[in-house]
Amino acid sequence: MSRIQLGFHINAKKCIGCFTCAMACKNMYHQPVAVLWRKLYPLDESIYPFSHRGFYSLACNHCETPACQAACPVGAYTKRVRDGVVIHDQDKCIGCGNCIRSCPFGAPQYNPVLRKAEKCSLCWQRLDQGLKPACVLSCPVEALELKDFCKADLSSLLAFPPGFPVTSGINPSVRFTLPQSPCIVRQEMP
Amino acid sequence: MPVTKGEYQVFRNACPRNCYDTCSMQTYVKDQRIQFVEGAPESSFTDGGLCVKGYSYVQQVYAKDRITHPLRQVPRGSGHWERISWDTALETIARKIREIEEKDGSLHGLCLATGSGNHGITNNSPDGMMSSLGYTTRTRGTPCWPAGIDAQAYDMGEMWCNDPEDLVKSRYIILWGVNPAWCSIHSMKFIYEARERGARIIVIDPLFTQTAAKADLYCQVKAGTDGILALGMARVIIEEGLTDPDFLSNHTLGYERFTAYLDQQICLAQVSEICGIPESEIRSMARDFASIKPATIWVGYGMQRHTNGGANVRAIDALGALTGNIGKPGGGVRYGHKTNRIFNYYAASMSPPQGAGPGKDRFINTNRLAQEILDAENPPIRMLWNTCRNPFSQDFNRPLLERAFKKLELVVCVEQFMTMTCEQADIVLPVTTLFEEDTLNVAYWHYWLALNEKAIAPVGECRSNTRIAMDLSEKMNQLFPGSCTFPTHLTSEEWISREFNDRVYEMFGITSWKDLKSGPVKAVIPREAWGDGRFATPSGKYEFYSKLAQSHGHKALPEVVPGRKPSAPFRILTPHSKFSIHSQFQNLDYMTAFNPEPCVRIHPKAAAQKGICDKDLVRVFNDQGQIVVRSRLTTTVPQDTLVLHEAWFKNKGYCVQNLVDDQSSDMGVFKTGSPGVAIHDQFADIEKISPAARRFPFNFWKTR
Repeated sequence: MSRIQLGFHINAKKCIGCFTCAMACKNMYHQPVAVLWRKLYPLDESIYPFSHRGFYSLACNHCETPACQAACPVGAYTKRVRDGVVIHDQDKCIGCGNCIRSCPFGAPQYNPVLRKAEKCSLCWQRLDQGLKPACVLSCPVEALELKDFCKADLSSLLAFPPGFPVTSGINPSVRFTLPQSPCIVRQEMP
Repeated sequence: MPVTKGEYQVFRNACPRNCYDTCSMQTYVKDQRIQFVEGAPESSFTDGGLCVKGYSYVQQVYAKDRITHPLRQVPRGSGHWERISWDTALETIARKIREIEEKDGSLHGLCLATGSGNHGITNNSPDGMMSSLGYTTRTRGTPCWPAGIDAQAYDMGEMWCNDPEDLVKSRYIILWGVNPAWCSIHSMKFIYEARERGARIIVIDPLFTQTAAKADLYCQVKAGTDGILALGMARVIIEEGLTDPDFLSNHTLGYERFTAYLDQQICLAQVSEICGIPESEIRSMARDFASIKPATIWVGYGMQRHTNGGANVRAIDALGALTGNIGKPGGGVRYGHKTNRIFNYYAASMSPPQGAGPGKDRFINTNRLAQEILDAENPPIRMLWNTCRNPFSQDFNRPLLERAFKKLELVVCVEQFMTMTCEQADIVLPVTTLFEEDTLNVAYWHYWLALNEKAIAPVGECRSNTRIAMDLSEKMNQLFPGSCTFPTHLTSEEWISREFNDRVYEMFGITSWKDLKSGPVKAVIPREAWGDGRFATPSGKYEFYSKLAQSHGHKALPEVVPGRKPSAPFRILTPHSKFSIHSQFQNLDYMTAFNPEPCVRIHPKAAAQKGICDKDLVRVFNDQGQIVVRSRLTTTVPQDTLVLHEAWFKNKGYCVQNLVDDQSSDMGVFKTGSPGVAIHDQFADIEKISPAARRFPFNFWKTR
């Protein structure tokens, strides 16, 4: 069987910043209020010229060489061979926070109720049933897609677009398409 | 019966909110508790997904601060609440109703205030409950879209639009004052698909909306001048011979008069000056719209919330008629439709009790609730029954409403959460969510019909509007036999089956309403809106020249009607947020995590002139009232405009209606019984709050 690495295509050209994906995650897992596995990041005006009109929807990037896994002292993180999903085992987690500090993307979050870390599971239980992840299923415009990074043609997509942390060695499984601006007709007033 | 999928029971539901999308849903229940919700895969409109609001429903159902038993507040507004039983609540209400009748000799002192909080078809039961008691006072009209409805009724005979799924066939789409990226997210995929098939997407809006960011061309029109822009485009289309002569000669009335008007009164240079869009751009949009076929316009509701709102929509309709796009696949001027409102509305249509004698209901303008309560005499309005509505958050002229409520003797509020209106109630009755009752839902945009099944038992002591009506009827008859005709013992199945008739079955191609248990169904749509070229106007044609409009006090032609005169330096716009439908959803903790606090959006240049920086505490004020919020600097708004999104933030006191008065829009009476409201013809000033003032707690909603 050939190797599979699942990852997200964040199509900011299509994304309408509706927060549906982020809420679909809450709907599925009901994490404590402040724990957000997926977040919408509004792009700075230097990247997209209008504030809160361009977004990256980000969660765990299920990296090829996960920093969280390397930092975890108790082996709570595993990377599934079958599809490259990075899974956090909360039973093993001791809540030390090493993963939270080491992830360049802020994916692991601290659960103040359980006093442990947690993060996006890529809905692996759903994947195993042949279902789409909750966030991908919820997107009304297919701006969030799940791809097999080993097979898909990623050549036209960006690995490190402006506003996304540049990292080396860990190879996050996420690629981007940048937002575009329309032709704009507006009057400037004195 | 629900379907079992693995460990879950899956129920059919439908989102009953006042929203274009009215999503068909599936609800996954385990251990008598909702685990999660999804979009129904059968609906090609909803397409398996919900929105940020729909996915927050589980929290709405189980929120810690949800009201789950009846409450009484003594005295009203004091915050001194006590739990009471349903029996005590209903008996207090029943005795008050009888007291009013004995005092006044009629029930006009009892007023029902309903809104758009729940569009479930059997949720019309509060209306039926009132009718079953006798002749009462009712709010009539709608704040949402009345001026545009009348405009389309004068032009075409009725508001009616193509299936939104046929947007994919369009080659040129003008999204005029509409923001589907926030307010109809499931429509966006059809717009994207149209573009993939070669369509151009144009957004005309005073604000650089999220939809504008996704367009090919964005034109920033000055608020309320949409009609003038449309007339400018119409002039270009006629001047350059780009009309559809066959459509004009066979299917329209008054084209010559309209042409003469444009010729004499519309000067492109002036149009450009007024609406803020260069002549060259008006010309090229007009040419493209007229020559690329099919072309369509989606008219939003914002542009008709002006004193010239109906006139704006009539001028835009005219573009569809001039170019013969009306009645075509992928064409039309889309505003909404009511073709699926063919149910029996049994729950709403009850007869008065014997002994109520001859009489009729008293109607008041729903958009001027405060003034109407203050003005009502002989008898005054003594008791208000408020359901599916949150006046203290959503009704216009909030300060006046505070005065009006003082005149009421009993306020009953049917609610899920302790809203600002509940805070001004004597009795609060806890109502079910959509998951705790059975009903049916259709939309005013797409053409799907969905069953809404009871997925869980009501939380706490919550009861549906229909159950409350049945229980009040039982209590009335127990205390005062023969005083109420509302049925007391119908099952959910009986309520639903009584809404169906042969027309419904035919429209949706089903033989029994139980067919809906296997999923939503789409209406069988024989043709595009006005596809046979026969209009529902008096002449049977598209009427550029409407004698009916003239007889109602409007211009016969779609003419320029000047807007409301500014009364302060900034226009304020209070549109919908993506995180809420009116005052619903923003109060949930899940939503607060994404959108923690309200703000006023202001252009950086305007802010600089006022010495305001990002996130400053500012005061937005006019003659009516004020709001204190943080500023957010953004170039998405025009320099002369402040934007405050309407919403109810729990515990924040934020209410845009402090600044919005109840000035009527031009149209709405014809089809909805009351004129609309010029929600976007409002003005205010803004100032930074001095550091000294920061030390004091702010009472956000008090008038100056």
